[in-house]
Amino acid sequence: MIRRLVIVASVTAALGGLFLFGLLRGSPDRDIESARLNRPVPAFELPLYERYHASFGPTLDVGSYLGEVPMIVNFWASWCGPCYEEAPDLQAAWEDFGGQVLFVGVQTQDRGRQQEGRDFIDQFNLGFANVIDDDSSLSIEYGLFGVPETFFIRADGTLAYKHAGPVTYELLEEQVLALTGGTP
Amino acid sequence: MSSLGTLGNTTLLLALAFSLWGLIGGAVGAIRRDRRLITSARMAASATFLAMTATVAVMEIALLTDDFSVSYVAETSRTTSPIWVKIVTLWAALEGSLLLWGWLLSGYWAVLSWVAPNTPLKPWALTVMAGVQTFFVGVPAIAARPFNSVFPVPLEGPGPNPLLQNHWMMAVHPFLMYLGFVGLTVPFAYAIAALITNRPGTEWMLNTRRWTLIGWGFLTAAIITGGWWSYEVLGWGGYWAWDPVENVSFLPWLTATAFIHSIQVQERRRMLKAWNLLLIILTFTLTLLGTFLTRSGVVSSVHSFGDGPVGPIFLGFFIVAFGLSMGLLAWRWDHVRDRSDLDHPVSREGSFLAGNVLFLAMTFAVLLGTIFPLFVEAATGDKVTVGAPFFDQATLPLWMGILFLMGIGPLLPWRRAPDQTLRGNLLWMALGAVVFGVASFAFGMRAIYPLLTMTLVGWNLASLVLLVTGVVVPRLKIGQRGVAQVLRQYAFENKRRFGSMVVHFGVLVMAVGIMGSSAYRVDEQIRIDIGSSAPFQGYILHARDKFMEQTPGRISAGAVVDLERDGQIVTTLRPRTNVFAGQEMTVPTPSVMYRPNYDIYLNVASTVGPEQDFVVLRAVMSPLITWIWIGGLIAALGTAYALVPGVQGARATRDLKRGLEASQT
Repeated sequence: MIRRLVIVASVTAALGGLFLFGLLRGSPDRDIESARLNRPVPAFELPLYERYHASFGPTLDVGSYLGEVPMIVNFWASWCGPCYEEAPDLQAAWEDFGGQVLFVGVQTQDRGRQQEGRDFIDQFNLGFANVIDDDSSLSIEYGLFGVPETFFIRADGTLAYKHAGPVTYELLEEQVLALTGGTP
Repeated sequence: MSSLGTLGNTTLLLALAFSLWGLIGGAVGAIRRDRRLITSARMAASATFLAMTATVAVMEIALLTDDFSVSYVAETSRTTSPIWVKIVTLWAALEGSLLLWGWLLSGYWAVLSWVAPNTPLKPWALTVMAGVQTFFVGVPAIAARPFNSVFPVPLEGPGPNPLLQNHWMMAVHPFLMYLGFVGLTVPFAYAIAALITNRPGTEWMLNTRRWTLIGWGFLTAAIITGGWWSYEVLGWGGYWAWDPVENVSFLPWLTATAFIHSIQVQERRRMLKAWNLLLIILTFTLTLLGTFLTRSGVVSSVHSFGDGPVGPIFLGFFIVAFGLSMGLLAWRWDHVRDRSDLDHPVSREGSFLAGNVLFLAMTFAVLLGTIFPLFVEAATGDKVTVGAPFFDQATLPLWMGILFLMGIGPLLPWRRAPDQTLRGNLLWMALGAVVFGVASFAFGMRAIYPLLTMTLVGWNLASLVLLVTGVVVPRLKIGQRGVAQVLRQYAFENKRRFGSMVVHFGVLVMAVGIMGSSAYRVDEQIRIDIGSSAPFQGYILHARDKFMEQTPGRISAGAVVDLERDGQIVTTLRPRTNVFAGQEMTVPTPSVMYRPNYDIYLNVASTVGPEQDFVVLRAVMSPLITWIWIGGLIAALGTAYALVPGVQGARATRDLKRGLEASQT
């Protein structure tokens, strides 16, 4: 009987210990950090919308910029309401900081809707390069939860910060300062 | 100074004193076998119930009169809420929920103290009830106090959690859940009494059979209404996401379901004594564990309702309850061990036992998946999440096994090996399975689990038909009565058996609904300009207009979408988002076209602004989903029918005697 009581006591203690740990550890993070944080982000080469062909050619090869300059990669879709909200802020931030940081827009999870994508770009007159991730494979590689999401990449090609949800001009400015080392 | 607050505190403390007396007086009386003490402790149940009723009444008055000097009202209520919202705000947050729990428990305890037969188990069972009651009164009376006074008195409060006030289902679901949890306390109390008094026979089970079924029935109904609420409110078009909050309500249901089957084996065959005690202890402690996990924020959940100061308290109570009851079981082990073995593995009891193993395996898998992230973090510090794919893969094969056994079990004879009739029955069931399987295949179904589900539904339907004809045909031969009359009389005389057939039929209906809605669901995100249309699954969605409505306490913005098919407008849906006064959160409010063959479910995926000339919709088509709710209703009716008092009691006693004789020979 003693042996059985010992078993019960140890099982109880083990369960209690586990849950006590859970309590003491504080509340868990509800925002899951990007697994790529502080690690190099994947390079990609994707077709560009026509209006950017003059500057970059028909495709944009991000690999040739990664590790050279800081970058902001913004994922959006034509059906995504918050993407319409953030687009003017992105455009304004590009106008102010486009010389220091490479801005790239990626239309994703939006298969076959290039016309809608063109309308989106025209509506906000987006000056920074926008590429088409037609089969959404890039969104999987970057581990997107939804759109919009914005990745802030350091000059050495590692991920500094990921923002889920619409960005604001203030947030973009703050992140650009962090990426470029302070001087606006 | 708040007078209602003072009154509520007083009645709550009174309830605590009464339940403490029920615990201490009851225990001392039971040890000394002191009649007067036992009677006095029994009275404590009614006294606690009265005091808790008064406490809940005071809280309701405070809510309805917007008395913001009472802390719970100030933190969760709002003047502009409709009356029904104010009433159900009692269980919209932790402190009030505990009051509700304590009140319902005191009701069960009081009823038990009146109606329980006078057996040697009764004093101890009432004492265990008093112990649990003391905890559930003690927590709101001391730790999570709803009646604190607030000064200066605010003029307005934030209102309840918007997810809760967005749908009337929230008035029902938590209430049912607590009725279920609390109902299962009664068999637990009797099981502990049986262990303490060393009478681990069949008595404790027979005394609580009806309570067990009541608790199980409410828990089942609670889980199904919870799924429906999730479908109507959360906006993703599903009803079950294997979220920790859902899992922990499912765990005690699994063990309770195993329990209501395995007690029949003990009733008939005097076997599985220890197993049944273990199951009811697990069921009760899992309800505590679930409350702890969801109220403490220990496992992250998409809808964790309110962290409070009660995490450590619930953990402590869980550890004490689990350790004490398991320790008791270990202590009495030599008395509860089975002395007999299965006579034949292919028998009724054999199938019940196999089903039990499957239910327990599922309990283990779901529990493991739920606390695994905690496990990993404790061991390695890494954060992981266990998602739906794990739970689906782990539980689907088990469900298939359970459906298989559900068909065959009721047709197997007790004790002896199956005879010739079984072979004939099996042929019919196999035929039913093949017909359903082939028909589903011809219908275009190709995936393995949906096909298997349909095959097993055919298997079970044949089994139900055989069960019914098995009782009707012989009776038709001996009398001149018609089929309907014979059936009616059988159903009347065998309420429990007939009720169980109805429940099993309800389970089949639900299985079909779950199969269709999970395997063949279509989920799309569609952007439509206001005034234009987009196709979806054979319909034309025409976004006719957008709207914005303001009522006191609520702003809604959404779209008016006509569903057109073959040039005809079938229906108009108005998906919208609600923002409640006092709350920042936007609550999606989907609009659903319910149909027997499929639902069309529209939800606005982003807010509809005033300048916006388009709407983004999440459109979901869920085949057969309505049958989940209908199946749940059938199961509830079957459970209720099995509970109707009647000649059942006499029959059960006769069966019991027969079982007794059988085990002695």
